[in-house]
Amino acid sequence: MARTVRRRLRLDSIAISLANVLVTLFILGPVFLLFLGAIQTEKSLVEDYMRLIPTQVTLQNFEVILLGREDILHDTGFYHLPRIIFEFKRVFLNSLIIATTTTVLNLLVGSMAAYAIARLRQRWTQGFMYTNLASRMVPLMVLMVPLFVTLRTLKLLNTLVGVIITLTGFLLPYTIWILQSFFASLPEELEDAARIDGCTRFGSFLRVVLPLSAPGMGAAGVIVFILSWNEFLIPFIVNTKAEVYPVPVLIATLVTDYHVYYSLVCACILMGLLPSVALALLLQRYVTRGLLAGALKG
Amino acid sequence: MERTEAFRPSLWARLRTWVGKGEIRPGLLAFLLVLPAILFLLAIIAYPILYALWLSLHEVTLKGLAKGELPFVGLKNYSIIFRDPVFWRSMLHSAEFVGTTVALEVTLGLSIALIINDARARAFGTLNKALMLLPWAVPPIANGLMWFYIYNPSFGYLNVILYKLGLIDQFMQFAGNPKLALFSVVVAFMWRVTPFSVLLFHAALQGIPEDLYDAAKVDGAGALARFRFITFPLIRSTLAIVLVLRTAFAFMVFDEIFAITAGGPGDRTWVASWYTYQHAFSYLEIGVGAAAAYMMALVIAIITVTYVLVVYRRVEYA
Repeated sequence: MARTVRRRLRLDSIAISLANVLVTLFILGPVFLLFLGAIQTEKSLVEDYMRLIPTQVTLQNFEVILLGREDILHDTGFYHLPRIIFEFKRVFLNSLIIATTTTVLNLLVGSMAAYAIARLRQRWTQGFMYTNLASRMVPLMVLMVPLFVTLRTLKLLNTLVGVIITLTGFLLPYTIWILQSFFASLPEELEDAARIDGCTRFGSFLRVVLPLSAPGMGAAGVIVFILSWNEFLIPFIVNTKAEVYPVPVLIATLVTDYHVYYSLVCACILMGLLPSVALALLLQRYVTRGLLAGALKG
Repeated sequence: MERTEAFRPSLWARLRTWVGKGEIRPGLLAFLLVLPAILFLLAIIAYPILYALWLSLHEVTLKGLAKGELPFVGLKNYSIIFRDPVFWRSMLHSAEFVGTTVALEVTLGLSIALIINDARARAFGTLNKALMLLPWAVPPIANGLMWFYIYNPSFGYLNVILYKLGLIDQFMQFAGNPKLALFSVVVAFMWRVTPFSVLLFHAALQGIPEDLYDAAKVDGAGALARFRFITFPLIRSTLAIVLVLRTAFAFMVFDEIFAITAGGPGDRTWVASWYTYQHAFSYLEIGVGAAAAYMMALVIAIITVTYVLVVYRRVEYA
């Protein structure tokens, strides 16, 4: 009796472990295939495709993109080489500017509003919170049609400023929602103590609430950074010139009807997803808490 | 006279006492703190929604915009899309896409959450928990292109793998196949978004006290019975939130469609957002695009009201 129970337990844990291995494969599989595509030459990718693991590993695609070494590519006449690939470094910098500025603006504007909602409860802040929750769900496509016309009138098409303002406004409801749940979770007595010691409301926000909610600010910050780094539709519609492209728009323009260098495209996609994936994995405790606070309340 | 002036505090000092020591009324402070956010939301969300309504009632072309001539056409743009069979097919494809994605995503998400949460998973479970955010962080457009490449009909890895496993005897089309195109996008989209559901389900599972299960075991409840009578009732509110949120976000899918099928083959993967995009930004019939966008917003609005109600209902009981 005891032995069969133990055997069943062992079988169960083997089954669970196997299921977990499948989950790992599900997560890593597609990205691993992309990685395989990026570390071989176009010739071996297109002609020797039955071999999953390439016989020769090369970093030439990364050299082409990062160092502009066009000369090491073969068959340049046969495959179409998108010139925009040589703009990668500038485009990467654009993405960095957009994501950083959007994050700073979101935290600045969002933390003030979130504090008012969580602590200075007025009758109208409650209404603001409902509106804010509803604004989170407005489809971006609906906003882009009129915003395209407006930004065109304001001559903000093809500028980073246009993208940053739009992104900030679009992500702000999410930031406010995450931050207000963090502020609300801080014990109110801390603030009361600060105020008895002579702090003003605003002073206690600056000196007590903000330092204590560093994890909350970190969570909202890293999520906003990743979402703005990943955003495609806004810059795609607002910016049509390569010098103001961010990374997602660049990689979207790589695939055309021509036969492109697939290995090169793989390398480009891989480098484009690396920053947000690395951030999410490194700061995953913050991201997880932020996502949970953003979807549920408190 | 000079003496009184000397006793008068400087403007700076008076400002300091007003801001620093004398309390601003909480109502005023709240208003000042929320003001920048309100300005952003008005400019980027409220104003465009109203402007889209205005645009949808006018004939808007780029030429007309340059000249400032945007004739009022009443409900003509709406009647154009309502009489367009492609519009109805796009809505139908959206429904098909949302239905498949949400059903698969919730099933898979809950299963994965149960698998990685199981104590017997040990190191594997910890590894998976750590990796779970990876797909979530991948830029949607990069995800689309990654799958576009995996689906490639002449050398894509999916064909190679299926061929090696003996499941197909010649390479086939996925994204270009009318029967498989929409499902190809579903798979790619699901890969990216399922981890979010896993995260929510996992958090809900962790909130269930272990002794409930122990007590049920003592009473002789099997694994299925424990799920049915303990796990399921306790994650039901999370399930409701996941369902509503994922329905809304699946309805808005754009990047993966753009990268994998671009609406094709034919109009097989035209969904609501793709229809709007094509009319507003490819054909540059901005008025028609705005009308289509408004129909999209209407669908989302219904889902949103449900979401707000679900979220606030949960709080009352919590």
